[in-house]
Amino acid sequence: MYVRLFSAVWLLLCAGLAIIAWGFQAPFAYDPVGPRAYPLLLLALMSAGSLWLLFKPGVLQQQLHLPSAKRAVLCVLTLLAYVLTFEALGFVLSTALATFAMGLLFTGRLLPCAISGVLMGVLLYGLFDLVLDVPLPLGLFEAFVES
Amino acid sequence: METLHFLLQGFDVATRPNNLLVALFGAFVGTIVGLLPGLGPINGVALLLPLAFAFGLPPETALILLAAVYLGCEYGGRISAILLNVPGDAAAVMTTLDGYPLARQGKAGIALSLSAVSSFTGSIIATCGVVLFAPLLAKWAVAFGPAEYFVLMIFAIACLGGMVGDKPVKTLMAALIGLALATVGVDSTTGVYRFTFGSVSLSDGIQFIIVVIGFFSVSEILVMLENTHSGQKAVKASGRLLFNFKEFCATFWTMIRSSLAGFVIGTLPGAGATIASAMTYMTEKRLAGSGGKFGEGDLRGLAAPEAANNASACGSLIPMLTLGVPGSGTTAVMIGALSLYNITPGPLLFEQQPDVVWGLIASLFIGNVILLVMNIPLVGLFSRMLSVPNWVLVPAISVISMVGVYAVHSTTFDLVLMIGLGVFGYILRKLDFPLSAVILGFVLGELMEDNLRRALSISAGELGILWQSPISLCLWALAALMLALPGLRWWRARNKARLAHA
Repeated sequence: MYVRLFSAVWLLLCAGLAIIAWGFQAPFAYDPVGPRAYPLLLLALMSAGSLWLLFKPGVLQQQLHLPSAKRAVLCVLTLLAYVLTFEALGFVLSTALATFAMGLLFTGRLLPCAISGVLMGVLLYGLFDLVLDVPLPLGLFEAFVES
Repeated sequence: METLHFLLQGFDVATRPNNLLVALFGAFVGTIVGLLPGLGPINGVALLLPLAFAFGLPPETALILLAAVYLGCEYGGRISAILLNVPGDAAAVMTTLDGYPLARQGKAGIALSLSAVSSFTGSIIATCGVVLFAPLLAKWAVAFGPAEYFVLMIFAIACLGGMVGDKPVKTLMAALIGLALATVGVDSTTGVYRFTFGSVSLSDGIQFIIVVIGFFSVSEILVMLENTHSGQKAVKASGRLLFNFKEFCATFWTMIRSSLAGFVIGTLPGAGATIASAMTYMTEKRLAGSGGKFGEGDLRGLAAPEAANNASACGSLIPMLTLGVPGSGTTAVMIGALSLYNITPGPLLFEQQPDVVWGLIASLFIGNVILLVMNIPLVGLFSRMLSVPNWVLVPAISVISMVGVYAVHSTTFDLVLMIGLGVFGYILRKLDFPLSAVILGFVLGELMEDNLRRALSISAGELGILWQSPISLCLWALAALMLALPGLRWWRARNKARLAHA
């Protein structure tokens, strides 16, 4: 069932992309193939595959399990929130908050998660920014460093 | 003789202090990543790749690091398989069958040390194979033109579909999705923007690191969310810690046989360690006949898959180094790593960058010795890693993934794209599409299009060039055979069922 749904969506997507790909035209012809043929070939093959799966989806062991799907959605939301606050709040704060929330999602207890969150925010910042030279955003802390 | 000379030169590179240090570090991290259930070699390589890049490691050192992690994972996967009955990575599934019963009988120490030696034997035999055959193949492959390359890549994808077995259509679809993802961005020959939807960040194409981390780390986090089973007790390794001479002799030929088989399977593009370990286990079981106690703790059942999966891990470096076509998901990631350094793997690599190639091969020998030495006495330490709870481990993995992606371009867009790809990967995974095929397709994508267009430029648009030379004809035939395999299997199964009915 889910495979059928996916194939149908994918088929529509392929059709949409094919319309976009039809417009790829080089101003000058550099090679006999051009930028359009290869993507269209791939899209055609993918549509064929989708059609096959639409008619013969096969057996799927996995079933949708509602509570775990809910948790997956929560997890994705947490990650998204983390990503979007990454630059605004700075690495240390956003990491501390995100690891705390993720810890709770993974059935950790309140206090240990809070401690591990703070530790991870500070220690990983030290490891990456100061030791390994990966520049990370400071965010809110910038004011302290400047002054 | 020439080979020996190059090998010595390689050892010269590999024994530089920083390269030795990196190999040691990679082996250690690899073992830990390998033993953590759910994290396999692709995750290990994907997590360390941005670090290697951010660190500014020279290409040969970065490659040594990644190879050490790859080997380490194959060593580490067996620890959780034996002690927990949970395979640390996909290739260790077969190890659980006899490893866990052995641990239950109080022979965990013997099982761990014997499997470490099997892993070592497998890797060493396969590395010798790499030394012998890789230069030959590279010399032969110089004759490959763009048309032959294009067909070779089709063969690699067909192999994937034919070998992965029960779901060829899904595997091929997954590879196509990867190929399609690779077309995003500016077209290198004509400068036309494709599928960028007006976004500046996409005009350069989707960065390789973002795809790998999205597909493997983020989707893995979501999968781990489902089975947060904690409190599973690891069997304590007690009693005799080392196997004795008799046990070694009983498994010696198994190791040799499985290593050779694993090496051959590993060199086929597309067929990886998982298939090798399953096939050798089945073969050994059949060879042992009724005398074996397979499934209840037979030492041969432990030695066979371990030797085979390490051998195939090393063997899969051959197509990667000589042809530039990955033999497994992990080597696909390594090819991506090389292209970050502007090195295109292929037959010319042996002439142009002998330091990189032979340094890598020599470091495989060194890495294996390090791993063997590390694995026998430190098994206690590693098995303690299994008790790190998920609520610490998973957030840490997600933070490291974020940093890895952020280090490339320092934009939020990349991070959002990573999560989007992760969710997509999770959905694909739930629907039984193999993700390693997507990565393989993504890596091959650009090469494949370039070679196709170059070939057709040479022939001025004549399609015939794709099947004119004997090499490409041969490859087409092999690809067709590979694609026919699942159909053949299905047909045989149906016939058998019909016979059973009659």
